[in-house]
Amino acid sequence: MRRNAFVLAAVAVVFSLSLGCSVLSTTESVPPRHPEDLPVGRPNCLECHEDVSTGALKPYASFRHSRAFIDQHMMYATQGQHLCQACHAASFCQTCHVRQEELKPNTKMGDRPDRMLPHRGDYIVLHQIDGRLDPGSCFRCHGNKNDARCRACHK
Amino acid sequence: MRDERHGVNPRLRTGLCCAALLLLLPALLPAPCNAADITLSSRTYLLYYEREVTGGADQRFAPLYEYLSGDASNLGGKPFSFHFYGWGRLDLKDDTDDDGRGGDIASAYLRYLHPTGNAEMRLGRFFLAEGAAAEILDGVFLKARTPAGFGLSVFGGVPVERTITSTDTGDSIYGGRLFFARPGYAEIGVSYLMEDGEFQGDDREAIGGDFWLRPGIPVDLVGRVTYNVSTSAIATQRYVLRLMPIARLDLAVGYEQYQYKDLFQTALHSAFLSPVIDLSDEVRVLFAVVDLKVAEGLTLELGGKNMKHDRSDPGDATRVEAGLRYAYNSLKDRAGLSAAVVSADRAENEYQEYRAFATYSPGDWRFSLDALTHRYEEKVGGSGITDAYHVVGSAGWQVLPYLKVSGDVTYTRSPRFTEDYAGLVRVSLDKGSARGGIW
Repeated sequence: MRRNAFVLAAVAVVFSLSLGCSVLSTTESVPPRHPEDLPVGRPNCLECHEDVSTGALKPYASFRHSRAFIDQHMMYATQGQHLCQACHAASFCQTCHVRQEELKPNTKMGDRPDRMLPHRGDYIVLHQIDGRLDPGSCFRCHGNKNDARCRACHK
Repeated sequence: MRDERHGVNPRLRTGLCCAALLLLLPALLPAPCNAADITLSSRTYLLYYEREVTGGADQRFAPLYEYLSGDASNLGGKPFSFHFYGWGRLDLKDDTDDDGRGGDIASAYLRYLHPTGNAEMRLGRFFLAEGAAAEILDGVFLKARTPAGFGLSVFGGVPVERTITSTDTGDSIYGGRLFFARPGYAEIGVSYLMEDGEFQGDDREAIGGDFWLRPGIPVDLVGRVTYNVSTSAIATQRYVLRLMPIARLDLAVGYEQYQYKDLFQTALHSAFLSPVIDLSDEVRVLFAVVDLKVAEGLTLELGGKNMKHDRSDPGDATRVEAGLRYAYNSLKDRAGLSAAVVSADRAENEYQEYRAFATYSPGDWRFSLDALTHRYEEKVGGSGITDAYHVVGSAGWQVLPYLKVSGDVTYTRSPRFTEDYAGLVRVSLDKGSARGGIW
């Protein structure tokens, strides 16, 4: 079965070579990292940017880290992670998006109550309700990336 | 039980050595690491808590966690970068028969970002969000866009998953996305995802569609649909309309629908499989979020979410919430108040949630307090308790520009805990240029 993956990888290499630099968009790529240090807390890109992000190909206004954006960040990230990666290291995204994790994000960052971190409090109790009502919201992170401690109850 | 007759516990000794090495890490780094394009961050957590087990005995736990993150860009003066993130655990005290160790490499990959067109290559272990895929894989990812606006991305490798069911993780995963983007106005994509495996007797095969539209006014219309080829049905769809008429207002309304048997076909967690849940169920969710900057530093957040199930069990429910957040002390500190109420067809699904938090950062110190309470409509799990309290107090000191030490004390009273105290000591090391959201 792994043969397919290798075939696809080979196709991908051929694709990239055949594409060549000459047929690539000449639009400047988003920098690999934000050129200036950013303050702690939710940034407002519009304080400095007014135009369209070359990385996300969308206006910076779409990326103001409001509650509305944070709740929908998946919808933007699945069209491209370039802009996210300019400011966020892998460790930021993978605080939640990880194969296995033992510490809840809000345990690791108990000194950051301002962060929108999931599962605050004794969530073992509350997850029974939230999981019944909207299991799809749990599935995104826990469907195939989970913790052996889940097995204590979910056998 | 651990034999502690021979002086210092070997796990404790190893843990202390690790901690000492980490504290010395900045001094041990070679000169090139002092360049601005390398970031190395370490978070060390030592927890202590007790758990009462059946029969009234107490078990004590003191796990030591180390989370390490490294990012090196502009390697060799070229647009190559390397990224690493992983963690490990060593139990300094564990009254169970656990082997006392754990850990995971979350990501370790080489990235090439072409100077134009956002052409990109990733090689190694990475988290990928692309079209229908939101995966961690060991493999390769390539993406490029042409001057006309068309683009293509492809990926392939071995999925990095974890199963707690009898179903094995997938053998391989591959796919891609074809898209068209007109900067500032639209992006539309079609994607494909294939994971070889035995998920409910079939592979995982999905076709995805996604779009983002901005029709010349400050409105975003975004959507995402995933069709499960293996079950021949739409697994999930989600559409959101975001209105940003003025800079301080962000309003989003949306609709999501998913069917259990089609979305959960590939689950490796028994909570998403029959007989725990009825796989014939289908959920429709309507939601709305308002984010309004009322005054300088003061933000009002309102939210609502209505969940309807096709099956009577577990019934429908609505959650409404409101919150205020205030930034002060030159935006270094924040305080917040929030309340949420869940009303449902079944009383066992109803609860109220109230939260308050505040931080205070005088000089090199930082203090925070976070209090959360839940009021359940019915007693939970036969405990006879219908309310829960959770309070976290934290104090931290920025010892050096790159070193911070902090500690948390947590109090919990809930249907699970009559009274529970837990402690955490945190050592944070950051070497290199800081970015907005490393952790």
